[in-house]
Amino acid sequence: MIRILALFLLFFPSIISAESTDIMRSSGKINVVYGVILIIFVGIVFYLIQLDKKIIKLEKKVNNV
Amino acid sequence: MNLSYWWWKILGVLLFTYVLTRGLLTPLKPGIEDVSPNRAQAGKSLSLNIIGYNTNYTKGKNTVYIKNIDSFYITSQAVQVIDDQRLNAQFSIPLFLPTKQSLSQFSIIVSSNFDGTSIIPSKLILHQDSINQEQAQLLWLSSKPNFTIINKYHFPYRNILYETIRNTFFHVSLWFAMFALLAASVFNSIQFLRKNDLNYDFKANAQVRTGILFGILGLLTGSLWAKYTWGSWWTNDIKLNMAALSMLIYMSYLIIRAGIEDLDKRARISASYNVFALVAIIPLIFILPRLMDSLHPGNGGNPAFGSEDMDNALRLVFYPAVISFILLGFWIADLVFRIQVLENKTEDPNNY
Repeated sequence: MIRILALFLLFFPSIISAESTDIMRSSGKINVVYGVILIIFVGIVFYLIQLDKKIIKLEKKVNNV
Repeated sequence: MNLSYWWWKILGVLLFTYVLTRGLLTPLKPGIEDVSPNRAQAGKSLSLNIIGYNTNYTKGKNTVYIKNIDSFYITSQAVQVIDDQRLNAQFSIPLFLPTKQSLSQFSIIVSSNFDGTSIIPSKLILHQDSINQEQAQLLWLSSKPNFTIINKYHFPYRNILYETIRNTFFHVSLWFAMFALLAASVFNSIQFLRKNDLNYDFKANAQVRTGILFGILGLLTGSLWAKYTWGSWWTNDIKLNMAALSMLIYMSYLIIRAGIEDLDKRARISASYNVFALVAIIPLIFILPRLMDSLHPGNGGNPAFGSEDMDNALRLVFYPAVISFILLGFWIADLVFRIQVLENKTEDPNNY
């Protein structure tokens, strides 16, 4: 899951530019703003998933003691 | 619910909601997107096609002006409205231009009693065969015409930027939040060196990690923004390279930490490294770009947050955006910190 997200984040710019340069430039480039918000959202979710995994590890440890 | 524990997190979420709604729903000020033709000859008549952005030309009474840098004007003789975004203005350009050169740049101004006044700077080039400034000053208006000013809540319109001016709230706030986190982590590192309490080390580490997350997101969002305004994913702009460099400096902070087993040693070394890292990135991000030419506002001599780049409408969203990103950043850092404290406790059985 994390790998997919990381790959998405890495290649997101090239994915959108490959097929939708015109979409990004149309209607006053508003889609650039949505792209920026999406990058921030995906990045933070990616970070939260990592935190969640750490907590799962901790829970397992605590429950085993 | 314990309010003293939750209030700043709630405040961060509320501010972020405000930024998203206000930042995305506020329209741009009506502006001029393009003008054609952009070359003309003095002494002849000129039929100018104007394309507007967010404009309502059919709803107002429009007047078009040509203006030069010394504030000499000529007014349109007739304006024909084609639709809300398109105007055609007729000019008869005087035989002499108010300048000493044979070629000179002029701005186009559209004044409408519905949309207010919009300008596209240095878009029209006029050419004159013979030069006569005294005559020209009689032919051109030297007093400022009465422009209609309409005070609606708008974000400023900028060519090339268009709607992406809203990225100021997200991209720039990320960097502000990163700096707040890194500054707080240095404070905690110094506290650790003074008091030798491992909790300060955990706190500093959590804040650096979140700061790096914000920095990487800042680079990615900036890259996307650059592609559609400057035309390239990565330019040789000094601020970009220095920001990437400072990210690498902090990456090596993580690597140094990962390489040391002993907790006390790790804390001591990474705390002193952290202090120097912040000292190193202040010239990299704040000082060097201001000395060199940079595409970023506020560098290479152009003012950031001056009246050119920031107006009060933007500020009303930008400052809450900075505060909300800082609060959310500290929230995430707080979670990382608490996980590290728990990890430390579970690793050492004596702590139970």
